[in-house]
Amino acid sequence: MIPETLKTSLKARVASALTPREAAVDVMKELQAHYGWLTDEAVEEAAALLGLSPLQVEELATFYEMIYRRPVGKKVIHVCDSISCWCADCDKIIQHLKDKLGVGLGGTTADGMFTLIPCCCMGMCGDSPAMSVGGVPYGKLTPELVDEILEMERNNR
Amino acid sequence: MPKLIIDDIPVEVAPGTSVLEAARSVGITIPHFCYHPALAIAAACRLCAVKLLDGPVKGIQMSCALPAQDGMVVSTTDPEALKMRSLVIEWLMLNHPHDCPVCDEGGECLLQDFTIAGGHSHRRYQGKKRTFQNQYLGEGIQHEMNRCIECYRCARFYQDYAGGTDFGVMGSAGRVYFGRFQEGPLESPFSGNLVDICPTGVFTDKTGRFRARYWDYQFAPSICQHCSVGCNTSPQNFQRETIKIVGRRNDQVNGWFICDRARFDKGYLNDPQRPREPRLDGATCGDDVAVDAAAKSIAEFVRKNGADSLALVGSPRLSLEGMVLLAQLARAAGGARLCYFGDPAQQQGSVAAARLLREENSAYVRDIEQAQWIALHALDLIEEAPMLALSVRKAFLAGAQIFLVDGDPIPARNTPPFKYTAVESLDQVPFEKGGKGVIICGAGKKDPDLLAQIASCGAKLVMLQPGANGFAAGLLAQEHAASPLADLVAARQVRGVVCFEADVPEGLLSGLEVLASADWRRGPVEAKSPIFIPTTTWVESDGTAINYEGRAQRFQRSRLAGLPLKGLDPKYYGNATEAVTLHPPRVHREEVPGGAERDAWQVMAQLIARLGGEPVVEPLEGKWSALRSLDPEGEGIRIFEIVAGE
Ligand code: SF4
Ligand code: SF4
Ligand code: FES
Ligand code: FES
Repeated sequence: MIPETLKTSLKARVASALTPREAAVDVMKELQAHYGWLTDEAVEEAAALLGLSPLQVEELATFYEMIYRRPVGKKVIHVCDSISCWCADCDKIIQHLKDKLGVGLGGTTADGMFTLIPCCCMGMCGDSPAMSVGGVPYGKLTPELVDEILEMERNNR
Repeated sequence: MPKLIIDDIPVEVAPGTSVLEAARSVGITIPHFCYHPALAIAAACRLCAVKLLDGPVKGIQMSCALPAQDGMVVSTTDPEALKMRSLVIEWLMLNHPHDCPVCDEGGECLLQDFTIAGGHSHRRYQGKKRTFQNQYLGEGIQHEMNRCIECYRCARFYQDYAGGTDFGVMGSAGRVYFGRFQEGPLESPFSGNLVDICPTGVFTDKTGRFRARYWDYQFAPSICQHCSVGCNTSPQNFQRETIKIVGRRNDQVNGWFICDRARFDKGYLNDPQRPREPRLDGATCGDDVAVDAAAKSIAEFVRKNGADSLALVGSPRLSLEGMVLLAQLARAAGGARLCYFGDPAQQQGSVAAARLLREENSAYVRDIEQAQWIALHALDLIEEAPMLALSVRKAFLAGAQIFLVDGDPIPARNTPPFKYTAVESLDQVPFEKGGKGVIICGAGKKDPDLLAQIASCGAKLVMLQPGANGFAAGLLAQEHAASPLADLVAARQVRGVVCFEADVPEGLLSGLEVLASADWRRGPVEAKSPIFIPTTTWVESDGTAINYEGRAQRFQRSRLAGLPLKGLDPKYYGNATEAVTLHPPRVHREEVPGGAERDAWQVMAQLIARLGGEPVVEPLEGKWSALRSLDPEGEGIRIFEIVAGE
């Protein structure tokens, strides 16, 4: 259940959109921020707010990789595995992240801090290989730089 | 009109026609999956590649998404196009489980056909295949997502065409998944069409899986008998059992699709309890014995009581052939009374609709689809004519206003796939003279004055009949001044009845003597009838039905009459005198077990002959003879001219 205040503000957001679908991503993101991930309950709440069926919300939710339909850690690491980053040996970076965090792709660290997810091109090809941690983008990654970033992000909660 | 050349054949097509459709018009089928004539173009599968050798566009193009233009020179056989198609089909097949032997689609599978036609016959991919968990989608449809090739036909049909909201596409890239938010029965009353529209075996008909292959079926063009829309179907039968019913295209009636009632509601056809044997005084007898006895009983009754205390009772379940012969039988019986309806209210409405509708005012399906406003008059459309809801939806999507006039609230399960405004009377429907409007109402049980008032509005009309062949019953009831049985009983005008596929409620029957009856199902009439003759259902008979708009359509016998082989009672292969069946059994029989049924009109013809009437060679005589040549695979014909030209 979401608090009334959130509900009211989301209703206003939906009302100001030309079509409800247009507001769907905003609504899902807000609900995700509230719950930590987009729970089944949140999908149904979003559907009710948007006048869509839960399935129609699910169609959108599962399309966007930054909407999480499973529990995630405090910060989500999106590491790019698209073509430019692949040319810049992102495989090595991904392997390093896995080793360092002790999780596979899709996994969350034991302390609940990080979830590691591969992602599509983030538009940082010029700085490939690239990743983002908790929404902050990082480029020109090397294993050493990754270690530093993780250290910093872990302390900087 | 664009003129182009496809594989050296000059083609001229209407503007907006795609190259794929233009090729099809000259008999060239370009392999395709996502393209479907009823759906918007998605160009999702990339299979329909052709090469344009000359003209305004050049090179490899997707033919489904390319409008034909003047001067195009298209090759469907160019090596580059062939190569493209074979590579596309190869990657569409990467994850396919190759499980045709255990897939119910096999043999009627577009994926099989176009995989071969596309030139992919050797698997090179050695990697792991992506697999999915299937969902429970209800008792009608089986889900097997691993067979999906991501053509999006199902999602486009379900949401865009049919307006369903509980099924669609989730995920992205290699993970797209077609299903529901959570497991559960599909909610759309058109969900069964997923079986027909999916080019692969993702959705198969759970009610008929693993019984037979395409090449085993006995099947023929038929007409759905669940409501008066008259959708075109093909019942697929195997060993005297209707296994599946699929939609059949008729652009004048149902387009490509049918509703779930048409597809899944078939148990009664295969019901082992269906009466299969002629009966005289409780004992099974030969067909001739029963017919002789019935003729004798009729003649005796008429001699004793006079012909006008006898009523021959039919119903809108009869084919037109049966209805026409019922009147002849009444004459042969010395002028017995005729009933096509039991309930006076139903007869009134049905007759009024048949009288009020003419070529000019009876709406075509395209009139509904292109209407600017549509009034549903006191009508639950999904209940009475499900497929028309899809036509109304087309109009709605094109901007038409829809009104529910004087209607009871529609139950949630019958929520139509369009928005409407509820108003109290027709006056509140803002229609301008000359605008394109359609009024849809149920005719059964409606006051004829009200129907006349509706008809005087100047809009096109849809008057739904009570029963699949209600229009014909209305026409014949009017022509022969037939009375509803309830009226005759109330006025104490009849004492005896002979019933043909008529459902007479017990209350009406109690004061009547049932001389004989013929039907394909059991009921109070059959229970009370000393002489009983089994008849065929629409799957086992040839006949004609007239739908709500006055369109006569021919249905063909799609299987032999007789008990389904599955579950056949051992008495048919056992020995009557031995307790334990000897092997091999040696009970000779000439007829198919339980196959003594004949079409109701044939029973009537036999009775007419026994009663000394004119022998019947052809049931459709006189004005109706124009319908003899009706093509079961055609669009049917509207009967207004035939009726007027009497
Ligand atoms: S969907 Fe078609 S190709 Fe696939 S298993 Fe079924 S029959 Fe075979
Ligand atoms: S389930 Fe069938 S219709 Fe739907 S996308 Fe897959 S192959 Fe196409
Ligand atoms: S490919 Fe990685 S950021 Fe573009
Ligand atoms: S049929 Fe043309 S892209 Fe699918």
